[in-house]
Amino acid sequence: MFTGGGLNTSSSFGATVTPSSANPMKDFEVSSPPDDSISSLSFSPSTLPQNFLIAGSWDNNVRCWEVEQTGKTIPKSMQTMQGPVLDICWSDDGTKVFMAACDKMVKCWDLASNQTIQVAAHDAPVKTCHWIKATNYTCLMTGSWDKTLKFWDTRSPQPIRQLPLPERCYCADVDYPMAVVGTAARGLIIYQLEGGPQEFKRVESPLKYQHRCVAIFRDKKNQPTGFALGSVEGRVAIQYVNPQNPKNNFTFKCHRTNGTGGYQDIYAVNDIAFHPTHGTLATVGSDGTFSFWDKDARTKLKPSEVMEQPITRCAFSHNGQIFAYAVSYDWSKGHEFYNPAKKNYIFLRPCYEELKPRQST
Amino acid sequence: MGRKKKKQSKPWCWYCNREFDDEKILIQHQKAKHFKCHICHKKLYTGPGLSIHCMQVHKEAIDKVPNSMPTRSNIEIEIYGMEGIPPEDLKEHEKQKQGKHGRPGSPSSGEDEPLPKKKSEGLMGPQPGMPQNMVNPGFPSISPMMGPMGPIPPFMPPGMGMMGSGAPVPSAIPAPHLQNKPLFPSAAAIASTTNQTNNNDTKTTTTAAIGPVKPTFPAYSSSSGSQSANSSAASSEPSKVNLISAVGGSSKIIHPPEDISLEEYLAKLPKYQGSLPATPPAEDTPSSSSPPPTTTAPATVTSQQPPEERRVPVSRMPVGVSGGMLPPVSSVAIMAGACPPLIRAAPPTIPLIPASMPLLRHPQMQLHPGISYQGLIGGVVPPQVAYGGGPPMFPAGPPAVLTPMMPPRFR
Repeated sequence: MFTGGGLNTSSSFGATVTPSSANPMKDFEVSSPPDDSISSLSFSPSTLPQNFLIAGSWDNNVRCWEVEQTGKTIPKSMQTMQGPVLDICWSDDGTKVFMAACDKMVKCWDLASNQTIQVAAHDAPVKTCHWIKATNYTCLMTGSWDKTLKFWDTRSPQPIRQLPLPERCYCADVDYPMAVVGTAARGLIIYQLEGGPQEFKRVESPLKYQHRCVAIFRDKKNQPTGFALGSVEGRVAIQYVNPQNPKNNFTFKCHRTNGTGGYQDIYAVNDIAFHPTHGTLATVGSDGTFSFWDKDARTKLKPSEVMEQPITRCAFSHNGQIFAYAVSYDWSKGHEFYNPAKKNYIFLRPCYEELKPRQST
Repeated sequence: MGRKKKKQSKPWCWYCNREFDDEKILIQHQKAKHFKCHICHKKLYTGPGLSIHCMQVHKEAIDKVPNSMPTRSNIEIEIYGMEGIPPEDLKEHEKQKQGKHGRPGSPSSGEDEPLPKKKSEGLMGPQPGMPQNMVNPGFPSISPMMGPMGPIPPFMPPGMGMMGSGAPVPSAIPAPHLQNKPLFPSAAAIASTTNQTNNNDTKTTTTAAIGPVKPTFPAYSSSSGSQSANSSAASSEPSKVNLISAVGGSSKIIHPPEDISLEEYLAKLPKYQGSLPATPPAEDTPSSSSPPPTTTAPATVTSQQPPEERRVPVSRMPVGVSGGMLPPVSSVAIMAGACPPLIRAAPPTIPLIPASMPLLRHPQMQLHPGISYQGLIGGVVPPQVAYGGGPPMFPAGPPAVLTPMMPPRFR
C-alpha cells in the first residue's frame, strides 16, 4: 500500500497510525497535536537559533514544540488558559509568547522560566494579539469582541492606548509601522504605528462578506505596503494602502468546490500567510485545502489535496523554509459534522521551492 | 411567403450561453475566455487543445473549461465557434429562444447571463459561476419587477426605484454597509432576504433564513429596549451569509447561517461556555431577539421565517464581567526570564509535559526515511545543531552565543 520514499513513518512508533487519507500531501506530522481544534499557529522569530512552533487550541492549551531540521518535532511545554485560546504571538526576541483567549485575558508566557502572567484584559474574549516592535517603544496590541483595540506595555494593568473599533475585532495583522484590523460588519481599519499607534484610515471593504483573516505584505523595498484580506465567501482581496494604480487592487476566488448537480460549495478562507522572503502567499480554507499564490503574477502556484477536515491556520517559519498548517474542525458545517473521533493534525511542509514566484517567461 | 418565418438565431457560446452577433466574435470570445491557458496565457483553439497544451507544456491537468457553466465544462468536447455543439443542446437552445423571444438574455433557467467579468478575477479563472452576481443574489427571482432588466449589472447605479417596494430604506443600515458603491449591499441584502424566504422550501440549505431580520433590525427595532446588549450582534449578523443563487445552478457558502465569526459561533457552544469563568447565562437572548421578527414581518416578506432559525442565541459574549482581576505586573517578573542565569535554571522538559503528551523521541521518528530533512531546512543548518537529547527548553539566552552555529537569518 505504501511505497518507499513518501511513506510517513510516524506510524512506526506505535498505535497511532496516520492514515494516508489524513495526510494526503505526505507532509511531516507534528507529534502530540492538540486535543481540540487548533486556533492559532506561529513559528519562533529569527532571533532564536532553533525553530519552535507554538499552537493554541480550543482545549484551552498552548503547546510548544521544537522543530528539528530532520522534520522531527519534540513537544517542549504546554500552558493552559482559562478559556479556549484564540490567538498567540511571539515577542520579537523570542523569549516570550502571548496568548489571547476567550477568558478575556492575554497572558505572557516566559519560555525561559515557564511562568505565565496576565498582561492584558478586555470585556470580551480577545480575538487577536500582536507584538509591536517599534523604534522607540514596544507593546502588545490586542483586539477583542468588546469592540476595542488596546495597546499594552505588559508591565502596567492599564493599556497605554485604547482605540474604539466600529465592530467586534475579527482579524488583525501587524508589520511595523503598519497594522490592519478587520471587524464584523466588514469594517476595515489601517493603523499607523510610527511614534505611537494611531488610526490611519478606515477603508471601504473590497469584499462583500464577513472578514475572516488578514495579512500584511511588503513591497520590493521590504516595507509594508498593503494587505490580503480573506472572507467567508472563498475570496481574497489584495489591497494596497496607497495604490499607484487602482487596478493594482484586485480580488480572487479560492477554496471553492464544484459539488454535484451544479452546486458550488464556497468555503471560508481561514488564514493567509505571506512567505517571508518570496512575498508569495498561502491561503488555507474550510474546504480542507491550502493553496500557494503569486499575487504579482496573479497565478496559483500550487493547490493541495483535500484534507479530511478544514485547515484552520497556517504559518511560515521565519526563514520561509517550513510551511505549517493545522487540520482541525472549524465548525463551518455546524454541529452535525463535528466528529470528536477525528484527530487534529499539524503538518510541516518544506515549501521554499514551491513558493518561488513564477518566472516570467 | 417563401421566406423562413424563423429567423436564424445568433451564434452563441456553448460554454457560457452568451450570444454574439457574429461567429467571428464568438470564436474570439472562446479563445480569450475558454481556451486560454491560465499559466502562459496562450490562446488555444479548442477545449481538448487547451487540455493537451497544459498537459504537455506545463504538466498540469485541466479538467474543466475555464469560465464555463458547471454543466458545460466538459473539456473533452471539441467545440469551435458553433461547430461541435451537441445537437440536443442546439435544439434546447433553439427552444428556449423561441419560448422567450422577448428576452434573449434569460431563458427560464436563467443560466445564460453573460457575466461581466472583472479583471480582478484574474488569479483564478476556472471557477465557473458567480463573479459579481453574488452581490445581488436575490434579484433574478424577483422577476415581476425585474423582468425587463435582465441580469442586473453589478454596477447598477444606486437609487434605482426597483428595490423600493416595501423594503426599508437602506439608510437605516449602519454606515459600513453603505460603503460599497457598486450596488449597495444593504439593498441587495433586503432583496435577497425576501427572495430567500420565498424560496425557503425549495432551496434547502443551512444558510437559508437568517436574512429576514437583518435589514430591518436597526430600522425598526431600535426602540425595543432590551436590545442594547445584543444589538450589535444582531444588526450585523445578517448582512452576509446569504444563499447565493448563481447562474447555471446554485452555490452555497459553507458557514453557519449567522453572520458571526466561526469563533464566536464556537465560543457560545455549551462545550466551551462551560470552561469560561464567570460567564453569565445568555438568558436575555430569546426575549430580546424575538421582537425583530415580528416587527419586521410587515415590512419585508418575512412572515415565513421559521422560528428555529434563531435557535442559536445571538449574543452571549458576556460583557463586563471580569476586568479588574489583573494583578499588578511586576516588570521584574517579566524581564527576569530574559537574563541568562534564569534561563539555565529552566526546568527540564519532561515534567512540563502532561501525560497526554508523551515525549516522542524515538530515533525512528524521522519521518520520511528516504528524504533527509535537509530538504526542509535547505541544508543551511549544520546538523549538529539538533538537540536530540532532552535539552532544556531554551538552552541559551543570548542568541549571540549560538550565532556561529546558525546565523539568525539566512535568506
